[in-house]
Amino acid sequence: MTVKAVIKSEGLSKYYGKGGEIRAVDGLDLEVYEGETFGLLGPNGSGKTTTVRLLNGIIKPTGGIATVNGFDIFIQENEVKRITGLLAESPGLYDKLSGYEFLEFMGALYDVPEEILKERIDELLKLFGLHDRRDHLIEGYSSGMKQKLLIAAALIHDPPILFLDEPTSTLDPRASHMVKELIEELADTAGKTIFMCSHLLPVVEELCDRIGIINNGRLIAVGTVKEIMAQTGTQSLEDAFIALTGGVIENELLAWRENGIASS
Amino acid sequence: MELPAPKWLVVAKNEYRVYTSRIRGIRPYFPYLAIGLLAVYVLFIAPAVIGLFIDDLLVFFLSQVAIAMVQIILFMIFVYFTIFPITNTLKDTQTELLELFLAAPIKPSDVLLGEFLGQMPFYAIAVTVIAGLFTAILAPLGLDVVQMAVIIIIFAVTFFSAQWIGTVIAALLRTRLGKTARGRDIGKALALVMALPMIALMYSMMGGSLLETLANPGTSGMVQAVLGWLPSSWGAEVIVGFASNLGNISAVGLETLTRFGGLVVFFVASLWLGLKAANRAYSLEPTTFIASRAMPDGAFYKIIRYLGGGGSFGTLLVSVFKNYGRRLENISKIAYVVGLLILMNIFLGDPEHPQYMVLEVAPLIFSVLAVFVVGEVTLRGKEGLFIYRKAPSGVGRLVKARLLHGLLVLVPITVTITAVRTILIPSATLISVLTNIGIIVLIVAANVVLALGLSLLNPAFTAKSGNFMVNVMIVPQLGFVILIISGSNWGLYVPLIWFVGIVFLYLEARKLRNIE
Repeated sequence: MTVKAVIKSEGLSKYYGKGGEIRAVDGLDLEVYEGETFGLLGPNGSGKTTTVRLLNGIIKPTGGIATVNGFDIFIQENEVKRITGLLAESPGLYDKLSGYEFLEFMGALYDVPEEILKERIDELLKLFGLHDRRDHLIEGYSSGMKQKLLIAAALIHDPPILFLDEPTSTLDPRASHMVKELIEELADTAGKTIFMCSHLLPVVEELCDRIGIINNGRLIAVGTVKEIMAQTGTQSLEDAFIALTGGVIENELLAWRENGIASS
Repeated sequence: MELPAPKWLVVAKNEYRVYTSRIRGIRPYFPYLAIGLLAVYVLFIAPAVIGLFIDDLLVFFLSQVAIAMVQIILFMIFVYFTIFPITNTLKDTQTELLELFLAAPIKPSDVLLGEFLGQMPFYAIAVTVIAGLFTAILAPLGLDVVQMAVIIIIFAVTFFSAQWIGTVIAALLRTRLGKTARGRDIGKALALVMALPMIALMYSMMGGSLLETLANPGTSGMVQAVLGWLPSSWGAEVIVGFASNLGNISAVGLETLTRFGGLVVFFVASLWLGLKAANRAYSLEPTTFIASRAMPDGAFYKIIRYLGGGGSFGTLLVSVFKNYGRRLENISKIAYVVGLLILMNIFLGDPEHPQYMVLEVAPLIFSVLAVFVVGEVTLRGKEGLFIYRKAPSGVGRLVKARLLHGLLVLVPITVTITAVRTILIPSATLISVLTNIGIIVLIVAANVVLALGLSLLNPAFTAKSGNFMVNVMIVPQLGFVILIISGSNWGLYVPLIWFVGIVFLYLEARKLRNIE
């Protein structure tokens, strides 16, 4: 059986500045297969969010091509947007709307038929434990509640492909556990393709079938966790990540104290 | 199956919901309530109020200054309708919501149109209030129904054009400025100073100098010629034309058609151009990669460090200055208050009593400036205060640093303005200049103490907080009350205001240790 690549990019690039000296994403070749959970890892500023924005048709690439479910992100951006759900890293919310009103608005933006929408909003609010607060203004929600609401908003049109940028970073352990289980269910039972970015290596390790590591805009490793550890000759994903992206050398960690101690 | 609603309607409905969130309880009835109240206003209240001045107003409408004056009034309202959405956006420039729209299958032009239409009902209320006033003035003249209808349409088209232009500019600025901290700071700075030209026009009307100037046929002709190029004026000429040709629309037929047609064409053209610009107004492409960098300390900071006694307190004081001065928003607040004072002197000053502006009005304005400057102490949130609370003797050092900072910012400004203003008084002597400066510096210093005390007693942890506005109002009002109590006797006023300031500062120091 052949596995269909639903997200496919070749030489996808996004450059900024004069002469393109800032390479946010540089020649990204990537394939994400239908039904898999793919994790994109990378240090801050490595190009994860830019990649997600490119693949969602939010910003235009400088070079290369990419398709999402066969739709070209450059010329069929509306089709791409219809079949993807996005949980952005630092998204805005309408503080002056209630949770219910916000989901109603998001549903209308994605053309969810009214007869389905009300029921779906209720179901999602119940799933995320927000049903009791459905009529409260979002400004009164905790950051965890807001994150849950945004995940619900990403699911409101039941898209086959989900992009989740740091889905559990602001959640408490219980909510984080629920979201992780939801991601597993969405992938295993509902057959969704999930593209996830996270700094939390255990979360990625637990949920993702394959991972990619991006640094300075370039994809420097792709494979399962085991394959990446084997490639780098390390024993853990954390060690593999540091080996690939660089880190502080241990004997430099307390160097800042040495001069002070010497002078005193 | 039902067709999905147009996307601009979805966005408009959402905008309307956001704007009416405070009145969610009565939201379903709000349109009926608003229409009912406006009907009462247009049919009864406006005619009753206008009836009190109707004779003067009718004389005015038939005078030679009418066209120029109505042009200016409409121009002011036009600019206000344009500026309002811009300043609202600049005060709190956020681009986070853009990602929601850009990730959804919706055209930027639909978002822009939706934002415009969602806010339109509130602008429509203002248009009705203004049009109601004008129709109340003109109705007794005997205008026919067609003329009345044309006037109402003129108001609607003129001001909705202005709102649309403001909405487009606001969206463009939001995208341009909202992505960087520097851009957001520039936005907040612009939001405040943009109001100054309008205030200048308003003061010139209040001071009466505008009417006097327009009484000169040459000047009013020039104003008409200049403003005549602007679409806000095209309606003015039709309105005044109607007032001179009651019930006879054919007498001004061609002119009406040209002006009115021009206005409609302008509205349609601006709508089209705005929708074309929408792609630029909704974008998450970075606008700059140049990060703001701190320069090495120059002579100014060295002097401040020296004035702070050097050492760790000197460093602390310099840090307070840097954090304050590197925000354009703070500088624009100073420019705004100083600008306001200059405009008051130009347009509202009484040549018979020049000292009144220097010694009675200026201190009240400076007290507002004192709140703007030292009130900043809490505006960046509680965390900033907790840094001081955590440090040894932190609260005392915070108060001392902020007091010194407030004085070092305000005293040079007040000395300069007082000196210049007093020197401009023909009878000024060196003694009067020095006396005025001495009194003002003592008052301003007391206001700094008072403003710091109040700002920490009633802290505003965000610029949007109502507490900030309360503090901005309380300090000058307290100053005014003390001025009345002291009977404008400076020997009594200065010690009294210092006493109140010190009491506030003492209470604040106690409260600051307990803020949680």
